[in-house]
Amino acid sequence: MTRGGIAIVGMGVTQQGRSLGVTEVELRRQALELALLDAGLGRDAIDGYILASHEREDLRYLGLSPNFSWPVQTGGATAPCTFIMAAGAILSGQAEMVACAYGMAPSSGGMPGFGSAKTSFGALGYGYPAQVGMIGAASAHALHARWHMDHYGTTSRHLGAVAVQLRDHAVKRPDAITYGQPITLEDHQASSMVVDPFRMLDCCRDTDGGAVFLITSAERARTMPGVRPVYLLGAGMGHNIGNWHHRDVYRFHDDIAPAAARAFAQAGVSINDIDTAQFYDPFTISIIMQLEHYGFCKPGQGGDFVQDGGIALGGQIPSNTGGGQISGFYAAGFTPIIEAMKQLRGESGATQVHNARLALVSGHGLNGGIQNTWSHGTLILGAEE
Amino acid sequence: MSVEKVGPLIPGVLDAPFWDAWQRDETFLLHCCKTCGRYDWPASCCVEHGREPMEWLPASGAGVIDTFTIFYRAYIEELVAEVPYTVAVVRLDEGPYFHTRIVDIPPDQVKSGMRVRVRKSRGDNFPLFVPE
Repeated sequence: MTRGGIAIVGMGVTQQGRSLGVTEVELRRQALELALLDAGLGRDAIDGYILASHEREDLRYLGLSPNFSWPVQTGGATAPCTFIMAAGAILSGQAEMVACAYGMAPSSGGMPGFGSAKTSFGALGYGYPAQVGMIGAASAHALHARWHMDHYGTTSRHLGAVAVQLRDHAVKRPDAITYGQPITLEDHQASSMVVDPFRMLDCCRDTDGGAVFLITSAERARTMPGVRPVYLLGAGMGHNIGNWHHRDVYRFHDDIAPAAARAFAQAGVSINDIDTAQFYDPFTISIIMQLEHYGFCKPGQGGDFVQDGGIALGGQIPSNTGGGQISGFYAAGFTPIIEAMKQLRGESGATQVHNARLALVSGHGLNGGIQNTWSHGTLILGAEE
Repeated sequence: MSVEKVGPLIPGVLDAPFWDAWQRDETFLLHCCKTCGRYDWPASCCVEHGREPMEWLPASGAGVIDTFTIFYRAYIEELVAEVPYTVAVVRLDEGPYFHTRIVDIPPDQVKSGMRVRVRKSRGDNFPLFVPE
C-alpha cells in the first residue's frame, strides 16, 4: 500500500458517553449519517458494509443496499481489522465504497448477551477461568502488569504516571468524558484497588457511542470534491498464540512484532517517522507495554518513558492525545482510529500535534477463553502529502 | 458490574477426559503428544505432530506461579465470601499454563515464582492450587 492505494474519505462519530440511552443500531445510523455528510455521499454510494460485531438488522434499519455485509470480531483488534477487510474488498474489486461501522451501548445495558445470569459470562467467552473467579478484561491485563512489575521493576506509580498523562490530555478535550477533571498521581494512588495491581484510575469505563468510516480507493478519493482523505499506508496483524505455544505470553501484549513489521514495511516508514501514536489503552499497562514492543523505548523502560514526559505533547511520541480509552471514551478499537484521524485532519484542538502527518494506530484484545491478550492490529495512517 | 452466578462447570466435550478424571478421583491429567512428549492444556493439537498422537496422561499437578492478580471486588456470587482472592497462572512442571485460584494462603503472601501444587481431598470442583 502506498499513499496512492486506499483512502478514508469519511468519518462519522456520534456523542460518546455514559448511559446515553440510545440503541446500538441507532448509534450506528447516526454515525453513518455523519460519515456520509463528511464525505459528501449518499447511501447508494455504499456497496460494502463491515460491522465490528454481529449484524442482523443493520442494513434494513440503516437503509443501505451494499453487495455484502461482513461481521468481524477479533476483540479490540476488530477496528483495524475492519480497515484491512475494507482495503481487501476494494483491492480485489468487490466494492468501491465500504462502510466500517461500530456502535455499542454497554453503559446502557445494551451489550449483546450481557446482563443475563444465564448468558453473560459465557457470552463474554471467559470459559474455564470464570470458574475460579477470573472475570473481566482488567484481570487478564493485570496478569501482564504483574509480570511486568516482577521482571522489570515497574511500579504502581509508573501506572499512575500513565493515568495522569492521559488525563492531562483529556482535560483539554471537550470530546473526552473527563474533560475539565484533572487528576494527580496522589489521586491515582488513593483510588481503590480493583484487581491488583490495577486501581480504579488504571481502568477505562464503558461508554456508549457510534463511529463509521468510509473507505475507498485513493483514485476515487481524488474525484471527491471537498473531502480531506486520510490514507491507509500500512496494516498488519499479530496473534499471541505463537508465543503461547512457546509458553511465553505474559511478556507480550498480544503479539505486536508481526503486526508492526508488516504495517511499517507496507508504509515504507520507520517509527522515527511517526508523529503521533494512538494506542488501544483499556488499562494503564497497555501504554507501557506497547511503547516497548513498538520500539519507542527499551523493554522494561515504558514506565520511566511516560514518567519523563515521553508521550506528552512535545514529548518523543505524543500518544493518546484525546485521553485514550481511559480518560477519553471507550469506542473499542475505534477510539485510537478516531483520534488518529482527528490529528491527521488537524481537528484535535488543544492537544493537536503540530503538523501531524503520520499516525500509528493499534488495536488489541480478545482476552477471553484461557485468559490472555491475543489479537493485535496495527495501522499506519497518513495525511495528504 | 453486578454480582452474578457463574453456575456449574460445563466441561467442553474435548476436555471431558480431564474433568472426568478430576471428578472421579482427583487425578490431574494433561494432554500429551506421544510422539514428542510435549504437554498441553486444555485439549490441543501438537504444533508439530497434530491431533492423532494426543492422549490424556496423569501429570504432576505441580508448578510455579508465573503471574497472578488479586480480586478486591466480587463479581461472581459463588466467591463473595472469598474476596480478596488470588487468581494465578501456574506454569506446570510439564510446561503448560494453568489458570487457577491460589488458596490456603493470604493473597498478600503470594509471589511469582512460588511453587504450588493442586489441592486434593477437599471436594474442589475445579482444581485449586496451594503452596507446595
